[in-house]
Amino acid sequence: MDETQRRVEEIRKQSSELENHIIDQLIEGKITRRDFVRRGTVVGMSIPLLSFIAAACGGANETATGASGTSGGAAKPGGALRTATISPAAALDPLTVADEGGLMVLGQSGEYLTWTNDKLELEPRLSESWSSNEDGSVWTFKIRQGVKFHDGNALTAKDVAYTLNLHADPKNKGNALSAFGDPGGLSPGGAKALDDATVEVTLNGPNGSFPYLVSADNYNVIIVPDGFDTSKWDKTFMGTGPWVMDTYSPQQGATFKKNPDYWDTSRQPLADTSELRFFGEDQARILAIQGGEVDILSQFQVVGGGAALLNDPNIRVHEIRAAQHRQIHMRTDQEPFKDKRVRQAMAFLLDRPSLITGLFKEKADLGNDHPFAPVYPFSDLTVPQRVGSIDQAKQLLADAGMSSGFSVKLSTWDNYEIPQLAQLLQSAAKEVSINISLNVTDAGTYYSDFWLNSPLGITDYGHRGVPNVFLTAALGSKGTWNAAHFKNPTLDGLIVDYVSALDIDSQKAAARKIEELLLDETPVIFPYFYFHLSATRSNVTGIIPTGMGHLDLTKTGFTA
Amino acid sequence: MGRFLLKRLGLALVTLLLLSVIIFVAAQLLPGDVGRAILGPFADQRAVDELNEELGTNRPIIVQYLDWMRGVLTGDLGDSYAFNRPVEDLLWPALEKSAKLALLAFLIVVPIGIFGGVAAALKEGRFRDRVISIGGLSATAIPEFVWAVVMIMIFGLWLNVLPVTAQAPAGADFFTQVEYLLLPALCLVFVLFGYIARMARAGTIEALDADYTRTAFLKGLPRRTVIRRHVLRNSLLPTIAVVATQVGYLIGGLVAIELIFNYNGIGQLIFRAAQKRDFPLLESAVLVVGIVYLVATLLADLLYSVVNPRIRLTASES
Repeated sequence: MDETQRRVEEIRKQSSELENHIIDQLIEGKITRRDFVRRGTVVGMSIPLLSFIAAACGGANETATGASGTSGGAAKPGGALRTATISPAAALDPLTVADEGGLMVLGQSGEYLTWTNDKLELEPRLSESWSSNEDGSVWTFKIRQGVKFHDGNALTAKDVAYTLNLHADPKNKGNALSAFGDPGGLSPGGAKALDDATVEVTLNGPNGSFPYLVSADNYNVIIVPDGFDTSKWDKTFMGTGPWVMDTYSPQQGATFKKNPDYWDTSRQPLADTSELRFFGEDQARILAIQGGEVDILSQFQVVGGGAALLNDPNIRVHEIRAAQHRQIHMRTDQEPFKDKRVRQAMAFLLDRPSLITGLFKEKADLGNDHPFAPVYPFSDLTVPQRVGSIDQAKQLLADAGMSSGFSVKLSTWDNYEIPQLAQLLQSAAKEVSINISLNVTDAGTYYSDFWLNSPLGITDYGHRGVPNVFLTAALGSKGTWNAAHFKNPTLDGLIVDYVSALDIDSQKAAARKIEELLLDETPVIFPYFYFHLSATRSNVTGIIPTGMGHLDLTKTGFTA
Repeated sequence: MGRFLLKRLGLALVTLLLLSVIIFVAAQLLPGDVGRAILGPFADQRAVDELNEELGTNRPIIVQYLDWMRGVLTGDLGDSYAFNRPVEDLLWPALEKSAKLALLAFLIVVPIGIFGGVAAALKEGRFRDRVISIGGLSATAIPEFVWAVVMIMIFGLWLNVLPVTAQAPAGADFFTQVEYLLLPALCLVFVLFGYIARMARAGTIEALDADYTRTAFLKGLPRRTVIRRHVLRNSLLPTIAVVATQVGYLIGGLVAIELIFNYNGIGQLIFRAAQKRDFPLLESAVLVVGIVYLVATLLADLLYSVVNPRIRLTASES
């Protein structure tokens, strides 16, 4: 036995049963190195340790996915970064922020227990390490010591427990409530500080992905001091992060300076200052980076002027495969969509590869009418892809006794490529005598009046590191976002199986069953999962975006 | 003069009261839910209901209106629903920005417009007149957002000589602020030039045909003196009215320009407040625009009476 093998054996002796199971899966070739690292981070193993084991034990390689276009030479220290972001939609309160503009700001000065990187691996942040009990219903987080809030007070486990319980309490009107919902959810009081450096979180049931729910993916849960009134957060931008708020004007922007007491020496900001400029309109943001008014564009869409950036020699585009998508729901409890053959026919109307080319210039993955995006390691991509076919749609309608077609109203809202998607569906539906009338409103009207009450609608969903909330809230029988009103006990059971699964084999097995069930029942059409796109001027390097919409600017700087 | 002012003030108050009622009722007709608009699409319904209760948006409209009006009369515009801070904090900076843009646009377009109109009138029916009249009319007919895109493409992206946004960096000096405001101001100049030049041209042609002008010429006064003393003074009357009516548009109506140039003026503020069903902010912003408009027209009337004393007499006697 050589030295490497001896060290691996030692590691295995000190590892839990679950950790050893994951190592076994790697050795047996059941998971790739990437999946091994990704899954290992979830159960609390560090990336250096996982990398060592992966190198020592081999395992299948795979083509890397994730951010691209990040090359461009080394960044020089200093300088003032200017980033164009979407205007936060409302007050910057960590409890209630529900939009990409708002979460971008939270992530600058605030920090999470864990961080989901562009490969969907979990990196430790304010939690140094974490582990679970055998069934994943109790998670213990070791809280990093020596961390200070921007007001100089030390971070303790009490702050963490307070923050988690704050978000889990329905009385507080928090946006993270949906992520902390059952199965495997968190109730108020579920998080307890055992001592200054340990937080124990007792969940309502097993949840194998809970560390993702305290990561930057669940963007509301930046750790705030014990007793902090989050409605006043925009006065201070209180947090422990690398950037400290200098100035803030609602609707206009915020400026940040370096945090001199930042705990992570490897992530001290390179630039001297960072400015977020808020833009209400996509077009204005795109023009701003093209005109050199800003150095960085946090996010853009191909539709709406973004296509111009893809071939601009002065701009470097950064793309990340992500799980953000549109859901075309059909009310399964009402005609004309009670019969699953009618729903399947609707799904066959879409020529998905053409949608990806036309609407996204190839910057998207195909959807297969379930929320398991190709970017997830536990998605089973061997389930046959649904391919558009007007003939098949006609046949299904005939089988359902609907060959003469019907009329239905499609409700949605006016942003991004959504109206175009609605028009394309409307146009394809004419070929099978389905007359779709469009009801395109503003976001507020759609979500207030039509989202959960429309026979047919299109809703936008942001990225998540795990699809739990898509499953529980949008497809579960008791889901609060279940616009299709789909109630299927078998699916509910499979969702519980999936959420509680601790190893990737069990997750994949449950995922496959869910994928097959949803493909067959088709309560919702998932036409595509589009990439997260951000951009920099060509003299800027080192941005670290995430699929969720965060932007880590600590390593960002100018090359010239 | 005192009576004239009192009468105008009284009319202005009635107008503002009516305006506030119209906006309040119109705002109630907007579809959607305040709590949902603020907390976002995926917020728990219980949270939305609780917020609506907290904000009082589920009370009868008349109660909400009277509550808001009571606040206004005591100098309290309330808190913005969406931004959870006093309306004043958002309103005054936006008004200041809009005023800066409007002022710059006026400083450019009023002299150019008057000069163009007079120059056209002096060569009525000739080539210069046609160029100015048709050119001005064409420029006016093109919407300001089209001008904005064209100007950004030419000066911002191709020539790269002017910023493509209007918001100068924090702490920018006077000249930098002007530099940032130049492109949006030029868009407004194109839109307004036609109106002002047309009015100035019509006024000048009328004044040139007037008996007093003919008499002045017959007296042997030099042409330049006649135009300066007799023609210009009278030709400006319709121009003043046009300029005054454009103040409201320039202060509160530049939504497209402000969105394209990412300028946080009052137009954009009103637009966002309407989107968010942020009634206190929407009401107050519209009311402020209404006040600006009324003050501008009042000042125009006063200026009218200074330029033409006959107006003052008529108003006083009525």
